[in-house]
Amino acid sequence: MKNVLRPVAFTLLGLIGLSAVWLTGIQATAGSDYRDDPRNVRAAQAPADSSRGRILTADGVVVAEDGPDGERIYPEGARYAHIVGYDAAAGRTGIELTRYAAMRSRDDGSITAWLLSSMGADLGPPDVHLTIVDAVQKAAVAGLGSQTGAVVAIDPRTGAVLAYVSTPGFDPNDVVGGSFDPTDDASQNALIDRVADRLLPPGSTFKVIVSAAALVAGITPDTAFDDATEYVPPDGIAIHNAGDDDCITGSTLTLTDALVVSCNVVFARLAVDTGARAIVSAAEQAWFNHPLPWETGAAKSSIPTAASFEADPAALAQSGLGERDVRATPLLMALIASALGDDGVAMKPFVVDSVVAPDGEAIEVTSPETLTRMFPSAVVEDLLAMMTQVVERGTGRSGAVQGITVAGKTGTAEGAGGPHAWFIAVAPVENPTIAVAVLVEGGGAGGSVAAPIAARVMEAWLNFES
Amino acid sequence: MTERAEVMLIAVAAAMAGIGVGIVTYADDGTITIDAFAALAAHLAAFWGLLAAIRRWAPDASRLLLAPVALITALGAIEVFRIDPDLGRLQRWWLLLGAVIAMAVLALLANRGLEVLRRYRYLFLAGALGLLLLPLLPSGWPLGGATINGSRLWVRLHLGDRSLSFQPGEGAKVLLVVFLASYLADTWRGLAAMPRSLGPLRLPEPRQLLPVLIAFGVSLMVLAYQRDLGASLLLFVVFMLMLFVATARPTYLVAGGLLAVGGAFGAMSAFDHVALRVSAWLHPFSDFAGSGYQVAQGMFALSYAGVFGSGIGNGAPYLIPAAATDYIYVAIVEEMGLATGLAMLAAYALVVSVGFGIAVRAADRFRSLLAAGLTITLAVQTLLIVGGVTRLLPLTGITLPFASYGGSSLLANMTIVALLARVSHEERS
Repeated sequence: MKNVLRPVAFTLLGLIGLSAVWLTGIQATAGSDYRDDPRNVRAAQAPADSSRGRILTADGVVVAEDGPDGERIYPEGARYAHIVGYDAAAGRTGIELTRYAAMRSRDDGSITAWLLSSMGADLGPPDVHLTIVDAVQKAAVAGLGSQTGAVVAIDPRTGAVLAYVSTPGFDPNDVVGGSFDPTDDASQNALIDRVADRLLPPGSTFKVIVSAAALVAGITPDTAFDDATEYVPPDGIAIHNAGDDDCITGSTLTLTDALVVSCNVVFARLAVDTGARAIVSAAEQAWFNHPLPWETGAAKSSIPTAASFEADPAALAQSGLGERDVRATPLLMALIASALGDDGVAMKPFVVDSVVAPDGEAIEVTSPETLTRMFPSAVVEDLLAMMTQVVERGTGRSGAVQGITVAGKTGTAEGAGGPHAWFIAVAPVENPTIAVAVLVEGGGAGGSVAAPIAARVMEAWLNFES
Repeated sequence: MTERAEVMLIAVAAAMAGIGVGIVTYADDGTITIDAFAALAAHLAAFWGLLAAIRRWAPDASRLLLAPVALITALGAIEVFRIDPDLGRLQRWWLLLGAVIAMAVLALLANRGLEVLRRYRYLFLAGALGLLLLPLLPSGWPLGGATINGSRLWVRLHLGDRSLSFQPGEGAKVLLVVFLASYLADTWRGLAAMPRSLGPLRLPEPRQLLPVLIAFGVSLMVLAYQRDLGASLLLFVVFMLMLFVATARPTYLVAGGLLAVGGAFGAMSAFDHVALRVSAWLHPFSDFAGSGYQVAQGMFALSYAGVFGSGIGNGAPYLIPAAATDYIYVAIVEEMGLATGLAMLAAYALVVSVGFGIAVRAADRFRSLLAAGLTITLAVQTLLIVGGVTRLLPLTGITLPFASYGGSSLLANMTIVALLARVSHEERS
């Protein structure tokens, strides 16, 4: 029997070892999830020091800090309302919510804290540094003015968000002061984060996705199409161009020209001819129907299934124009533009650059991560060349910026209160450093309403960079 | 290890208990109360006393056993006192009483040795079954059962208008191991014979499986009538492992394993409290306010531990239901950190290693089985509750040996230490 004692002993000792590994694993991995769970009341009672750090932009503007009586104050008012959010008696939103724990004093009275401070670390409340550049943010706010809409700008190289504006806004100081009640029905329109949560038909900006699918299928920018005045999809009603006329000459036009003048008849036919599977797969590669990871949470942009399009080619034709049941957020459209500026690869968007202790020690630094490849490398150059033409001689002319080459696409989507104006752009084409998406709800034509705002934002960024 | 080292290690453990309790009182109101000195004195008295008894009545015993036990007891005592000072004070008396009982066991066995346990084995069996059945007595009686937290595994002794609760199952577990060791030492040949064969499989006579079925039945009864999943599982696993050690026949492990799996699924559908435990284990947050509350609070406590813990008196272990008993391990890890939690597991591993070492070197089959059975009991009980509170396993309410608050548990486990020391002593005689 003594020879079986050993295996029994080693098994039991091994299981004790497994418990030790398991406990260590809990501490190493799952610990923080449980720590941040709102039902874990330890967070509320832990540190005696209730002060919180500041939130600063990349160019050093303080956008949130503690006031003299411990209340939060927001020196820039409404300009950062949707991304920074508020921390008030009414609750917390935005980065004030997501980074609440990170901005609190690290001195929780624990032995670890004592060891750290005796080694010289400053455990005071850390600051959150944003990637947003106030100069760019200002240009976006000024561009939107009193219109309802959203502007978001992303650095294609890293995924860092450079501007993030949703209008109409609200002043978070009023939430702290109590004069703006976030639970009031009348407040809801101003509270919506139109960058990440507003799902609208992307209109003709979606033609970029259709073009990508067509290029993958073997069509070239120079492939010629009939310049007809209407297209009747199988079992569907006729689709017309914007002016109920042909697009250019009435004979033929190339794919590039069709994009330059945003020719509905050509793209409706192209969507149907390229096929439901290819269109849906190109859209899904561009992250439609996928949850978009984002600091403050983002709505999922969507496109119907290939099977439903196969059963209803008319819906596919209209979806090729970014209408019908296609829905996108400005955040995703900006990411699509940024992917075109990064050889087809979209970086994961982020807005918190780092969390820094008062003594300058970086506690947390966000390192850029790849989200996904949205476009095959082979089609990116063609798409950029076509979109450059859009800005040089097409619908996006007012998106041009002096001295650099801009690639862009306009969109004018049907809306109940007038058409929604869209514009997406990436620049400079030779070496892209900024991608922008602009949405003006019920604003009119994308080319005349949204494109100038994008130009202003890109200009501000280039001035800041140089 | 020299005797002097053992004396010193016990002193270190007792000093830890004293300092730890001192920190708790200081954190509470800024003064170090008499409790710190009482904790130091109680631990010194209990373990130095037990050490002296071992030196006198079992002088050849291993010297590796007491120090890790003293360490675990000290850590448990600090945390029990931190969660509830009244329980902590009571625990000190239980510790002293446990040491006295362990000394008494050593004294009783001093002259005639462990052979005497063999002679009265059916008395032990009867005693064990009696203890297991005690909680089923009507609760109105002077000595009656009591239902606490939905489990009827308590007995309450009414003395005038005061009452004393204890869990007789803890004593039963020791008596059962003593009985099984002597029973299996005599009958192992019959049980190990595999006269039948089914293809390449060698099988025992059907009647040889009778003890397995009896053990399974007893475990199931504990589960059904006392609603005590932990004790039921512990009894069954200890029995199966002892049977395997005695016969060296994996057939029994397989048969026991199949019964356990079948029993587990049967129990889940038959007993609500078992199904609740399993769902609380898998999805503690889906019924946060209800069945998952305890497990979820345990995970919350662990999330605030870190390497060194929040500091004694600085955490919130009292938020977990049954923090001083079932959840003492999580409470210790929350306030004293992962480092202390791992150190405790290392101490248990040392006790288990020493116990199996004693079993391997024991003089004969009975003594070897006795040491192995007692060690297996400690190891399995530790694994069940540590795994349970850290969500490695479903939570089965059972005490953590030497650390949890609980008189019956401490008395039973101190007796195990005395018996192990005696087996170790007799290996050379």
